[in-house]
Amino acid sequence: MCFQGYHRIRMRILIVEDEEKMAKALRKGLEAEQFSVSVAQTGEEGFFLASTETCDLVILDWMLPQRDGIEVLAALRQKGVSVPVLILTSKDTVKDRVHGLDAGADDYLVKPFAFPELVARIRALLRRGKPESTNTLRLADLEMNVAGRVVQREGKELALTAREFDLLLYLLRNQGRVVSREMLARDVWQETARYTPLDNVIDVHIAHLRRKIDEPFRSKLLHTVRGVGFVLREETS
Amino acid sequence: MRFGPRRVRTRLTLWYVGTLAVILAVYLAGVSLLLLWQMDGILKKLAAEDLETVKGLLYFQPDGQVGVREDYHRHSDWKQVQERLLEILAPDGTILYRNERLGNRTLGGPQFVGEGEHGYSGRTSTLSDGTPVILISRKYELEGKTVLIRAGYQQNLIWNELKGTLLVLIVASPLVFAGAAYAGYKMVGRTLDPVTKMANRAEQINSERLNERLPVESAGDELGHLATVFNSMLSRIEQSFEQLRRFTADASHELRTPLAAIRSVGEVRLQDGATPEEYRDTIGSMLEEVNRLTSIVEKLLTLSRADAGQIQMQVSVFPLKALVREAASLLEVLIEDKRLTFQLTGDENIGVEADRLYVRQAVVNILHNAVKFTPVGGTIDARVVCHGSSQAELSVHDTGPGIPACHAAKIFDRFYRVDESRTGAEVGGGLGLSISKWAVEANNGEIGVSGSSGGSTFWIRLPAVGCPPYGRHG
Repeated sequence: MCFQGYHRIRMRILIVEDEEKMAKALRKGLEAEQFSVSVAQTGEEGFFLASTETCDLVILDWMLPQRDGIEVLAALRQKGVSVPVLILTSKDTVKDRVHGLDAGADDYLVKPFAFPELVARIRALLRRGKPESTNTLRLADLEMNVAGRVVQREGKELALTAREFDLLLYLLRNQGRVVSREMLARDVWQETARYTPLDNVIDVHIAHLRRKIDEPFRSKLLHTVRGVGFVLREETS
Repeated sequence: MRFGPRRVRTRLTLWYVGTLAVILAVYLAGVSLLLLWQMDGILKKLAAEDLETVKGLLYFQPDGQVGVREDYHRHSDWKQVQERLLEILAPDGTILYRNERLGNRTLGGPQFVGEGEHGYSGRTSTLSDGTPVILISRKYELEGKTVLIRAGYQQNLIWNELKGTLLVLIVASPLVFAGAAYAGYKMVGRTLDPVTKMANRAEQINSERLNERLPVESAGDELGHLATVFNSMLSRIEQSFEQLRRFTADASHELRTPLAAIRSVGEVRLQDGATPEEYRDTIGSMLEEVNRLTSIVEKLLTLSRADAGQIQMQVSVFPLKALVREAASLLEVLIEDKRLTFQLTGDENIGVEADRLYVRQAVVNILHNAVKFTPVGGTIDARVVCHGSSQAELSVHDTGPGIPACHAAKIFDRFYRVDESRTGAEVGGGLGLSISKWAVEANNGEIGVSGSSGGSTFWIRLPAVGCPPYGRHG
């Protein structure tokens, strides 16, 4: 396993979500990511669990029966509970987003979302405040010097364009995890509008990157996960 | 606030009859006064004639009293004359004669200065018992002596006559009013008839039957105009309904395609056993369709918000050419991949005033389209020029198959496809250009395409800053 070791003690995540199918999928997915997960199905229950038990992060659905997510969040903040809260919702206007963040949310994710995106956001929230320590990123025999912008494989330096370097940097930082095209568009290309036609552009860049970092070598590191995105990892088999 | 009957027809009729009544009353009063005045005049004239006759009939009796051969006038047609009152006075006021009808009553009291000397001194007066009379007097020389003859005629005789006339008029007026009301009611009904017809027809028009129109009876008048205005409004509503209906149908179709794919791919895979690798592939394929669905829904949401005017433009001034360069660099890798030649020409200083983010999206979209449809090795030529003095124009010419003129007007319509092969691969088919069109138009710009078999030219025009007053056209 390529799992990074910094969660030796499992992080606890509370999911407040009334839709059973969604809650189940989230629990399974997050447990597979080595989190310890508990689920509350109403806002009331969520509020109770979040204020009595210690958890490291709360995933809060906005639309909940009885007491909606924003109310729960406001009540938690009122009570002085400062746990990071990520809001899940199908409300996607800027106004809604601002409203959610104003109520004390730390992040905001619009349904439908790609699961890798959720995981990336969770990790970012949990990592918040901890500085990026490494200047050198490594996967198998691939090595990147971030400050020097140098990439080597098997000791040979690879010539990457600026965009390819940024792309690889992002993939290396998220190594072992699938990243979606949306995540790449937003984080590598800094494209905020979701319907800018970037999918082709990303695919071509991935192809170019693959040609440089994988093709000349025996073991392949950059993989396409159909329907989801891309992942940089060492195949174990 | 409105009182009285609800129906316009009743209300108008009442108004009509009421107005008629007032006018009639004023008219009658005027006529009566005139009549009264005229009859008064006639009576005085008659009285004067009568007085002359009376004078001829006077004679002195031996005792110094005056006698009248009164039987002479018994046959007069004039009741007034028949009922004449007569008094003859000596200049010193001595009563020389009073006829029977007058009896002991005095006619006009003491003499006044000049009475009856230069005319008939016609006046109205009342007898001691209050009977109103018309009074005339005249001085005559009778057998060498001066006498004052006073004759009185009862005024109520005129009144009686007038009363008769008025009575006939008043008795007849309800009939007149009824007639007028009937005629008015009919007339108003006739006038309002088109309105009733329009209302009846309008009642039948609903969202299902928007093709119906109101009847236009005479296009020239106010009601005809009203109907025409309503009809043109209905046309516009019908058009937008039709657009909405088509949009909904297209959207459903567009959503159904990936849904069908997800379903069949999943069902088929579940039927036969498969290796984990195959399952993985199936799920991946299903997720691809989900991505497509997500993209369509997002675009639809954007468009519906745009339609509802919920998107605010953040206007700034920025150079257009730099924006095009930025958009092109985003797509550079695709351009290189297809070995296309991309040329960008034009004045760096031409600025536009618009929301940069949305304009950028439109530009990226247009360029992306050009890249997509230009065959390998082709050329894309982008030019930034001033269009007149107030607009900046970006034109993007490609060496693709071009767009037939019949499609040019519709290519920005939602879900419009020139043909399946051209846009088959596009995710969220046929919405990109609609969004571009909206983005440009929301910034007070225009977007269009002119195409021929030698490639198509898309152009975007936006409010310009820094174009010379007499711009170098095209």
